[in-house]
Amino acid sequence: MIRNLFIYLAILIVGVLFLGYMILFGIPALQESTIVLPGMTTQVGADEVGTNKESLEKEISKLKDKLDKFTPTEAYIIINTNDNHFYLYKNKQLIRDGLCSTGKNEKLVLNDSPKEYVFHTPFGVRKVLSKQKDPVWAKPNWAFIEDGMPIPPPGDPSRFESGTLGKYKLTLGDGYMIHGTIYKRFMGMSVTHGCVRLGDEDLEVVFNTLAIGSKVYIY
Amino acid sequence: MKENSAEDFDSLFIKKKSNTGIKTFLILFSLLILGFTGVYTYLNVGAVRDRMKSAQAKTEGATPMSPSLIGLQKEKAWYESRLKMANSDSIGLSIDLENHLLQLELKGVVVLSSKIVDYSTSGFFKRMDGNVYFSMFGTPLTIQKYESSIEKNAFKVVQAPKSVEEAEAAKTKKDSLHHEVFWTVKLDRDFELNIQGIDSVTAAQSKYQLGKGFEFKRDLNNIANSFQHILKFQKPVYTPEILISIPANEAKAILNALPRKALVIIRI
Repeated sequence: MIRNLFIYLAILIVGVLFLGYMILFGIPALQESTIVLPGMTTQVGADEVGTNKESLEKEISKLKDKLDKFTPTEAYIIINTNDNHFYLYKNKQLIRDGLCSTGKNEKLVLNDSPKEYVFHTPFGVRKVLSKQKDPVWAKPNWAFIEDGMPIPPPGDPSRFESGTLGKYKLTLGDGYMIHGTIYKRFMGMSVTHGCVRLGDEDLEVVFNTLAIGSKVYIY
Repeated sequence: MKENSAEDFDSLFIKKKSNTGIKTFLILFSLLILGFTGVYTYLNVGAVRDRMKSAQAKTEGATPMSPSLIGLQKEKAWYESRLKMANSDSIGLSIDLENHLLQLELKGVVVLSSKIVDYSTSGFFKRMDGNVYFSMFGTPLTIQKYESSIEKNAFKVVQAPKSVEEAEAAKTKKDSLHHEVFWTVKLDRDFELNIQGIDSVTAAQSKYQLGKGFEFKRDLNNIANSFQHILKFQKPVYTPEILISIPANEAKAILNALPRKALVIIRI
């Protein structure tokens, strides 16, 4: 009786072990444990290696230089829209970083029109096209639609606001700008309509550091 | 003293016969498992070896490489690929497993540099020879397909309010839900790149032990996939992969920043 029990137990253990093995074998690391591939077996003469080594090192050095030239030596700014953080560089050195606010990734759908507004900070490289002190904000249509207000005609005084964009603005094209804000509590959050908002002190440094033509990298 | 009757003797015999039946069943069951295991092993190994053979076949006729120069050749290929990526218009990803760095590059400028917390590569990559390496990583790869735990560049659709009161009531609230971040991309040279956002290696390992997390789900899927194929006596699909763990916010930023057909360059 006991002897039989041991036999059954042994058979069951073997079965369970094999089943376990099969399950484990499904995991790539174990699945691949049987691969044996030939390594690199081709050898070349010592002199040839020396010559090739020198020429390869020269080529690599040239490639590094070429790649390095892609990074501007003049001032540029990187905007991280995910973390709402900016990084200001000059002479390839980080000179300032801090919080910003970027696009809220929202589509505003109109009630009586198929038109929709997309509030998103576009990724890619842009250039500073113009710089302005004490800018006046010319409110676009969406600003009224979003607030549930009727859209005034173009040039209407209600479209123009002073102070909303802070002390400075740097235009990036297609209506996008880097500017200041009166909504400082939203700094570090994705709340804008696509522009990049900076705090007062950061904005002043960015305004004074970036020139017209400076690159703005946004991701 | 009681004597053994014929009935007692028969009952003993029947009992013994029934034990033999169970024993036979168990032996057959074990043999079945053994047989299935054999087929399973054969097909699994076959799938991996076929993948290796096809990778090697692509490099047939290539100039043999010197082992002493392989490091420099890899470095040269790395910079050449980065230059190609710099000349393209979109954001690309460079992965330097040698230096544990994952970088987002835009027109040759490194816009995000993420320190790799942990990584693992399939045995396929550990065992490939120089020519296979260059056929896989010698030039930039292109992303073919994305799968992610969070929606890439999710947009919220908002209906325009009809009045000032409605606009006030619909003031946006920030989504504070914490989502696990992991994403997988299929690359054009038939392997997968998996990126997972983790707080720490220990936390990720303990998640795995509890049957949670990206790595566990991936292994479970592989097992299920193997079983499904083997039950049909087919070779399972074997796709080599690279799994990289980086901080969660960086994993999310990179996922959102990469275009659909982004270029990826890898150095192992």
